[in-house]
Amino acid sequence: MYELLEFSSRGILLGVTYGLLAFPISLLFIATDTVDLAVGAYAVLAGAVAMLVGAHINPAVGILAGIAVSVLASATIGAISLALGRRQKGDPLVLVLASFGFAIFLESVVLTLFGKDPFIRQPFAYFWNIAGMRISPQAGVNVAIGLLLVAAMYVFLYRTSWGRDVRASANNERAALLAGIPVRALQFSAFMLAGLLAGIAGVLVLYTSGMDFASGIHLTLAGFGAAIVFGLHGPMRGFFGGLAIGVVEAISSGYANGGLASLVPLVFIFAVLTLGRVGRPAQARA
Amino acid sequence: MNAVLTRYRPALILVAVLAVITLLIRTNTVWLDTSVVIAIYSLLALSVGISYGQAGILSVAQAAFASIGAYATAIVTTRYDLPALLGLLLALALPPLIAYPLARLVTRLSALSLAIATLVFGQAVDIILREGGDFTGGYIGLSGIPPLPLASGLLEYHLLAWAAVLVVTALFSNLIDSPFGRATNTLRSDSLRAVADGVNVPHVRSAILAFSASVAGLGGWLYAHHIAYIGPDSLGPSISLSVLLMAVVGGAQTVLGPIAGAALLTLLFKFIPSQEVQGMFYGGALIAVLVLSPGGLLSLRALFGRSGAAPVARSERRAANLAPPAASRAS
Repeated sequence: MYELLEFSSRGILLGVTYGLLAFPISLLFIATDTVDLAVGAYAVLAGAVAMLVGAHINPAVGILAGIAVSVLASATIGAISLALGRRQKGDPLVLVLASFGFAIFLESVVLTLFGKDPFIRQPFAYFWNIAGMRISPQAGVNVAIGLLLVAAMYVFLYRTSWGRDVRASANNERAALLAGIPVRALQFSAFMLAGLLAGIAGVLVLYTSGMDFASGIHLTLAGFGAAIVFGLHGPMRGFFGGLAIGVVEAISSGYANGGLASLVPLVFIFAVLTLGRVGRPAQARA
Repeated sequence: MNAVLTRYRPALILVAVLAVITLLIRTNTVWLDTSVVIAIYSLLALSVGISYGQAGILSVAQAAFASIGAYATAIVTTRYDLPALLGLLLALALPPLIAYPLARLVTRLSALSLAIATLVFGQAVDIILREGGDFTGGYIGLSGIPPLPLASGLLEYHLLAWAAVLVVTALFSNLIDSPFGRATNTLRSDSLRAVADGVNVPHVRSAILAFSASVAGLGGWLYAHHIAYIGPDSLGPSISLSVLLMAVVGGAQTVLGPIAGAALLTLLFKFIPSQEVQGMFYGGALIAVLVLSPGGLLSLRALFGRSGAAPVARSERRAANLAPPAASRAS
């Protein structure tokens, strides 16, 4: 029982980062009706830059630089999306393909510039002792930032005109255009915001469990799983989806083989895909 | 007779080109080796052409299907000393046996969820291969895969590999020209229309993915016996990307396009300085092609196989027909 609690707390720590990665994925799905497979790669890029710049200058500058590079990367795929949109008449698969290409591109960039070694920073040398469990203060930081971002996203999407316009153009692009909503510009801004969120998530992963150049696809899938477990149509659910996946993954890696535990998010995603919550709206509009 | 010639024109063109190339390189081992590699990539790129080009299924795990084929033959030949032909049977049969239910479970939804499902599948294969212990060789992989008894020399292997490509090309042409192939084309451009035509969309989609997985498995079989080694990184996600790129560059909707793309890119990428920067070239090139020339290099479609233009025009017309209520109110 005690073990279970400790594994769960470790799972929450991991799950918060998954939940943060779910934001950009569900935001882009809401705003553009497609999935950006490079989200995990932005996170890895942000983590790698934060590590390198942080080691040479100072950690705060590193974190800012990492997040800035991540926004730059997602702005690139945003621009690509606009260029594709003009030619491909809104076939979401073409952007999925392009973003897969971009993910491999970024993986290669990180490998070339930063090498094969894992990136990890653990600034806290002490642990909190809560009811006999040793918990890194990083857990507190992660949870606090996670809750703050959930609140910010909620306000952004449901309490600002930007959010209302994004929701409107996702609901019916043509009607939104006719109503004078700058749909393309909004989609581009959604990509930038996604990059920002992925960058923050990447920095937190760097400070939590660490990553290496090849973690991008795993992070994308973990975030995607988190985004869809409780339904893709709301960024709030993604956060709790991330917690759920993190806890299940931590418990299974505690009791079973560590490598096979990373299959858990995949099983989750596959189950949800099979049950058929994802993609219905896209199908109905196609 | 004429119809048969037209149908098999891609295969006949391939035979002619191969005959010339084989004569030119028959004694040069470096080029023979390159040619075998091109043939293997051609099979993988053809598998993309079948699934993505014909049915509009984006699979980002074609290399994982090839990996299953390669591991199947590696395990039966190195662990149990069984003949490579049994490996071939397994390499052809196992990938579709996985692909069909995978697609069938997911594909009644959108093409988007099937694309994600293939990514999940590729990642799962990667983890299972690494964690497979002695059975799959874990992180180290399996080495010492025996050469094929029927193609011990490099020239024979070159001929065998291209014979496999030819068979697939002929089958592919057959498929496109069949009612099944026409149904596939219909559902690519408009799945609602396909349902209305009485096409069993989930079955056709899954069957196409299964066929393409089998072609990829064949590529994996040839890969394993050529390189004599297979590991978890041999046929990983970056190979899935490069074969997608090959098909898209050559023209995913044509029969010969994927083969041309495989040949072109294999030759081009021989000049890339190091392994690390390969992903930059592949990823960058894929995006450039998608933005600049979505039809690929062989988009002179009248010459090669069926035209992809007509169905697109139809679906646009349909969209225009559906649009008027909103549009006319606005104008």
